[in-house]
Amino acid sequence: MHEAPLFFHISGIPSYVTYSWVAMIFMLSVAIVVRLSLKLVPTGVQNVVEVIAEFFLNLTESSIGHMGQHFFPLIATIGTYILVCNFLGLIPGFEAPTSNINTNASMAIPVFLATHYYGVKIHGFGYIKHFVGPMRSIFALPLMVLMFVIEAIGHVARPLTLSVRLFGNMTAKHMILLILGILVPWIIPTAILGLGVLVSIIQAFVFALLTTLYLAGAVEEAH
Amino acid sequence: MKKFLSVILLSLTLLFLLTPVVFAAEEAAAETPAEGKMGYYAMAVLACGLAIGLAAFGTGIGQGIGLSKAAEGVARNPGASGKITTTLIIGLAMIESLCIYALVVALIILFVKPFGF
Repeated sequence: MHEAPLFFHISGIPSYVTYSWVAMIFMLSVAIVVRLSLKLVPTGVQNVVEVIAEFFLNLTESSIGHMGQHFFPLIATIGTYILVCNFLGLIPGFEAPTSNINTNASMAIPVFLATHYYGVKIHGFGYIKHFVGPMRSIFALPLMVLMFVIEAIGHVARPLTLSVRLFGNMTAKHMILLILGILVPWIIPTAILGLGVLVSIIQAFVFALLTTLYLAGAVEEAH
Repeated sequence: MKKFLSVILLSLTLLFLLTPVVFAAEEAAAETPAEGKMGYYAMAVLACGLAIGLAAFGTGIGQGIGLSKAAEGVARNPGASGKITTTLIIGLAMIESLCIYALVVALIILFVKPFGF
């Protein structure tokens, strides 16, 4: 399938890297503009930024509790960055960086490593108790080993599913738009674009929410 | 009801088991490289169609059950409709992602072509 040429193209650099830079420049410029004109009673762009920030702060504090503020920068950045990247895919001539699995893996793997790092940092070696299951006695040793194996597989599946979920959604949206555009131009692809906006927002939210839940599971008080 | 279901499942199993035999019988005539390619392509396309079809079937049922319980919850307690809607959307996105995994496998078979052609 031959696709239209992209708007920004730097030869030698893959297109998804270029567009992730575009997303970063956009986010940085909005942040700097808001920071330089910070008022106590918000107006204009500051309103929007405050809504987004408050939404993520609510999410982290209600799920993680006392350490919520510590994780807020990571989760809010991931959520907003994925949102901006997804929206870039809806503009004709631009491409969503999240429709390439490298961008998604670059976010999912640090989240995975962060959960284990913070788990070990808060609980020390007691972190192993999270993997072992509810019954802890010497007679339940086979059960504990089995639970450990199952939990380990579930943990390894996490970065995989996080990245593939986002990649699949973005690529599927792009492909449906392409194919329907060839078959039935004008009206139906516009409806799919509306669905694409919904899917972009929901997938960004789901990534941030799952990150929050994994971190909450790692740092919670052991039962 | 049980007999009807078992008849349906049996016929589907027979269909799935006999399909490779059909294709093998076609190619056993003259196995030039071009026709070998066609045999692989035919099986790959069949696999992708079945993958998406079955995945969408399971997703439809799963999301339908979730949606029905959510609608029931809102009907019982209209004041909680905001929270129920949020939970519903998150649940639907999770279930949908299972169908997306099947779609990704189908896309890999069709476009990345992991076995040469």
